Amino acid sequence: MNRYLKRHETILAAILVLALIGLGYLNDQFLTFDNLLNQGRLMTEIGLIALPMTFVIVTGGIDLSVGAIVGLCAIVLGVSWKNWGLPLPLAIVVALGVGALAGFCNGLVITRLKAPPLIVTIATLALYRGLAEGISKARSVRGYPDWFYELGQGQALGVPTQLWILGLCIVIAGVALDRTSFGRTLYAIGANETAARFSALAVDRVKLIVYTLSGLMSGLSAFVLVSRVTTTRSDMGLGYELDVIAAVVLGGASIFGGSGTIWGTVIGLVMIQLLKNGLALTGVKGDATIMVIGVVLIASVLIASSLERRRE
Amino acid sequence: MKKLLLTTAAAAALALAFASAPSRAAQWDGADDLPTSPLACGTGANPAPAAKPYDGGKAVNAPNLAGKEITVVDIPKLIGIGYFNATSKGIQEAAKELGNVKATTDGPTEAKIDEQIKFIDNYITRGVNGILFAANDPVAIAPVLKKALSKGIHVIGYDANSTPDAREWFVNQAQFNGIAKSMMDSMAKEIGEDGSFAIVTSTFTTPNQARWIAEMHAYADKCHPKMKWLETVEAQEDNVMSFNQATTLINKYGDKLKGIFGMTSVATPASAEAVSKAKLCGKVAVVGLATPNAMKPYVHSDCVKSVVLWNPVDLGYAAMEVMRAVVDGKLKAGDTEVTAGKLGKLQVVNGSEILLGAPFVFDKGNIDKFDF
Repeated sequence: MNRYLKRHETILAAILVLALIGLGYLNDQFLTFDNLLNQGRLMTEIGLIALPMTFVIVTGGIDLSVGAIVGLCAIVLGVSWKNWGLPLPLAIVVALGVGALAGFCNGLVITRLKAPPLIVTIATLALYRGLAEGISKARSVRGYPDWFYELGQGQALGVPTQLWILGLCIVIAGVALDRTSFGRTLYAIGANETAARFSALAVDRVKLIVYTLSGLMSGLSAFVLVSRVTTTRSDMGLGYELDVIAAVVLGGASIFGGSGTIWGTVIGLVMIQLLKNGLALTGVKGDATIMVIGVVLIASVLIASSLERRRE
Repeated sequence: MKKLLLTTAAAAALALAFASAPSRAAQWDGADDLPTSPLACGTGANPAPAAKPYDGGKAVNAPNLAGKEITVVDIPKLIGIGYFNATSKGIQEAAKELGNVKATTDGPTEAKIDEQIKFIDNYITRGVNGILFAANDPVAIAPVLKKALSKGIHVIGYDANSTPDAREWFVNQAQFNGIAKSMMDSMAKEIGEDGSFAIVTSTFTTPNQARWIAEMHAYADKCHPKMKWLETVEAQEDNVMSFNQATTLINKYGDKLKGIFGMTSVATPASAEAVSKAKLCGKVAVVGLATPNAMKPYVHSDCVKSVVLWNPVDLGYAAMEVMRAVVDGKLKAGDTEVTAGKLGKLQVVNGSEILLGAPFVFDKGNIDKFDF
């Protein structure tokens, strides 16, 4: 029990609750059902990518190209529907496929060339963003039919539609990482890749799957984003990689691999989103909000790690 | 290993196919594909624009606050740049003159549409009486603005429009075809009717720039058919990038390049700097949109002859005055003009837009009278 209380996620959750109470005390529009659901809607795109990113970081890798893949998939969705004349449902499938393919290429280069993921995905970040701009000829695609907006703007049973998808994905990812041999393999690779190889684990295949997942979920995120903002632009998803990685790392995943949980990531994600929202509602201006977020990030990591050290 | 090479080759081929697939567009790069309406050539009289019925939206069940104090938030594309500091200054000036408005400016630090949407969303939750905005994307911003209208919040745009039904009024700093005419005429005057020119813009998707370029193309086809467009390059409103892009154009086209259009307040001074550094003042003309302070050195050294712009302080001022007029019920659907404080009467055009005035061309004779 004691061990459970001192886990990074538990400490972070406590900080989150304190921050929520504090912000709720400062203004009465913050802790309302409407506002919280709305914030859930706004954080879905980052959340969907943060899940596979947790997998990637647990294996000791990183994927910086996710934001560019979001842009590429959004453009493929729009252009394949509008300019290439595909039916919209098929265009959605094609966009998801392109996302998975983009992730697969990352994985292929990383596992076959043994190149550091950081370098590979910086390169593909430029490549995918460039492709997005080339394909779109930098024009935006608009005028989707009404049913298409249901996912991004509608709601089911009183909860924003995309939040159901995020919830489902969180459960699947959580179970996969915590309860399956696939999840164990991820930790083994992150903790000691050589040992994992000698233990006859399919290291390369698992890595390939993880990066492909990362691309696929970026594609899904692009679909949700296009549906929410009703338009497709090649600069979509710009800078997402940083928001995603911030959520995962705040959630306690070690950037060196071997540790991290889906629950931690979810708490990290919620914390950043609600802090931004709460501060804005309390009257902190945009530029100051970013600084406060930075300080809070550092502070929570410091508190968590110093408590952990005391335990040791 | 061989398999990998094959895969890489296939991927490269695919990338090339994608990159070269777009056939030579009939449009200039960086132009949008909306209909254009070029003005008459030279000083010819322009036909009066056909009166259009009001096509803006309406705030639902907005409380009657005529004459009462209101809270207004201004959410520009981004904060912390000279241009939007100037509009914000104008908004504050108007708020002070009116005396019954509490106005604040807040917004993202980068011109990102999803950030801007989040800001607007948060202010709707917080509860304000009015929202002033300059859109990063005309369509993407529409759902959140409609949400504001549905909650009884008045919504007025300035600088960069949204789809008309997502806001009540839009204060138009200068009509796109007016700017396009001023730009093309100034360029033709400097480089002659058969000169070749290139364009430095922010990005191909930025709505205002895309609209201007489309209108410039239409106007050039109509009135300067022999002038030749060479290329449009993107420079993202970034100083260094604009300078580099302009320098690349100069090196790439050599003697062929007679003029450069700067489409943003960053690209124009940077292009002028590139021309000065290449010692081509007088050989390569720079015409563009820019704020006077940034252009004074180049105008005084005769490197740049004409700078086209409007006054952003007046733009913010007018937006705030329009907001107050709407809240007070003094500006209603169907009206043809509105009184905007010290600016006097402004004309309603295009259904639900309020025109600030004709674009202003700064030159050596008048530029020192302006300080922004």
